[in-house]
Amino acid sequence: MSTTSKSKKISAVLAYLIVFLSLFFFILPMLWIIYTSFRTQASIFTGKVFPPPEEFTLENYQTILSVTEFPRYFFNSIRIAALVTLASLVVSIFGAYGLSRFELRGKNLMIMGIFSTQMFPQVLLIIPLYLLVFRLLLLDRVIGVSLGHIILVLPFQVWMLKGYFDNIPLDLDNSARIDGCNILQRLLHVVLPVAAPGIMVAAFFSFVVSWGDYLIVSIISQSQRTATVTLVIKRLSGSLLIRWGQVAAATVLTIVPTIALFSFVQHRLVEGLTAGAIKEE
Amino acid sequence: MTETRKGQLLIAPALLIMAIFTLYPLADGIRTAFTDQHLLKETMKYVGWANFQRIFADEIFWVSLYHSVILTVSVVLLQLVLGLVLAWAMKQKLPGIRLFKSIIMASWVIPVAATVIMFKFMAQPDIGLINILFKLTGLKGLNRYWFGDMHAALPFIILLHLWRNVPFYGVAFLAAMQAIPASYYEAAEIDGARAWGRFIHITLPGIRGMIIVMVTIHVLWTFNNFDFVYLATGGGPVNATDVLPVYVYRQCWDSYTIGYGAAIGTVMFVMLMIYFIIYIRIYEKRAGAR
Repeated sequence: MSTTSKSKKISAVLAYLIVFLSLFFFILPMLWIIYTSFRTQASIFTGKVFPPPEEFTLENYQTILSVTEFPRYFFNSIRIAALVTLASLVVSIFGAYGLSRFELRGKNLMIMGIFSTQMFPQVLLIIPLYLLVFRLLLLDRVIGVSLGHIILVLPFQVWMLKGYFDNIPLDLDNSARIDGCNILQRLLHVVLPVAAPGIMVAAFFSFVVSWGDYLIVSIISQSQRTATVTLVIKRLSGSLLIRWGQVAAATVLTIVPTIALFSFVQHRLVEGLTAGAIKEE
Repeated sequence: MTETRKGQLLIAPALLIMAIFTLYPLADGIRTAFTDQHLLKETMKYVGWANFQRIFADEIFWVSLYHSVILTVSVVLLQLVLGLVLAWAMKQKLPGIRLFKSIIMASWVIPVAATVIMFKFMAQPDIGLINILFKLTGLKGLNRYWFGDMHAALPFIILLHLWRNVPFYGVAFLAAMQAIPASYYEAAEIDGARAWGRFIHITLPGIRGMIIVMVTIHVLWTFNNFDFVYLATGGGPVNATDVLPVYVYRQCWDSYTIGYGAAIGTVMFVMLMIYFIIYIRIYEKRAGAR
């Protein structure tokens, strides 16, 4: 008995060591950028970890929010990410439900095809996509950028939601069908409420991908009209004399929405994301 | 309308969008690879295999390919191992672990551009946290801009990937581990299996499906990843961190030679397709053997 309790103790010590190192590596960088965002340029350049209290300031945020165009880009990002989330959700819910509930010819091929889009190099796709968006007169438009993002999220979203729907018992659909519900009623009133956690994760996924994208925005956006926060923080951090306090403030503002949404879905995130992977067991 | 027809109708929009905006661009991208198309020129002509011959003699292509392979292999392997370690730690029933689990995936949700800035700032000489910590521990001679260092830049890119993805691996593996019936472990305990034996014979086979999915998808995502390298170093210093996606991007949007860029992109696609086919072959063989 004493050997098991001893090995349990060793396990606990080891686990806490891993937890401590993980916090240091994964969380500290975020805290550090937040900390930096409240310091003056001069204070940052002293290289001190704990500066005197008078070197802390709200000036960086004031500058970013009132002097620069950051709020405008922030609003662009919100508009694009919201549009992407809404549109991709509608399309992928229908698609995933169709794939999950109907016997269709070539279904496995379709699923394989959807999954295999993950191996298409985005840098290759973006070339014709740019010309296509250009011809559709959607260059430098919110819709053009959103379209690019929808393509980015759709395959994974369909795959993931299909896995989620597969885990919902068919009996639910069948009894609703006997009650005289048509397909849309079944989907909207019976399946969706049960699948709500999975839908939330899918929505979160598309929001985060759209919000964080740099590649597509950098090509389809041509002006302030569609530039997003990722473009701006990249530009701010690439200038000759970098105002690190302001860069930090802009970075924190860029992170905040994703972290805020993350706190809502956090406990379901992995279950939802990996639904496609777990169900095959 | 039959049920099948209704099912087809539900899938149609998704398939249509993917066909127009993913399959067509893929086909058109491959077509472009055989042209001398230039972003600023109106005319273009087919040049046969000329772009591919140029690739063969292009030193930067080979360097980028080498970095892409090194990066993908080391990132995925390290993520796999560290993800397992993290999952093991989170599986222990200890106070505080729940809270830890709830925050640890934060690194996965924030924009890559923000991650890169955080690390670029920490890697600054004199004022960056990394160099401050080195100074405090007496390693002042290491003070430098780490992304600007010929030898450290690529390891730092690997570090960025790990920072973003290891928690995701850990939490995903944990979810798979918790789906393994406790009775398996109890039986092993009666047989006197040690912790390591239980891990090898029960845990690993139990989460095999999850490992395969995570590795497959991350090989594709890492090989195709553009923004970590582009935003952190742009491929530099010199070509120390150049990877294929970044090289394609520069060819297309800095040099405007989209024909040549598309050719390199096509080579990337072919390589990934070979990987994918091998993977499916092995997977089917395994499934058949069981």
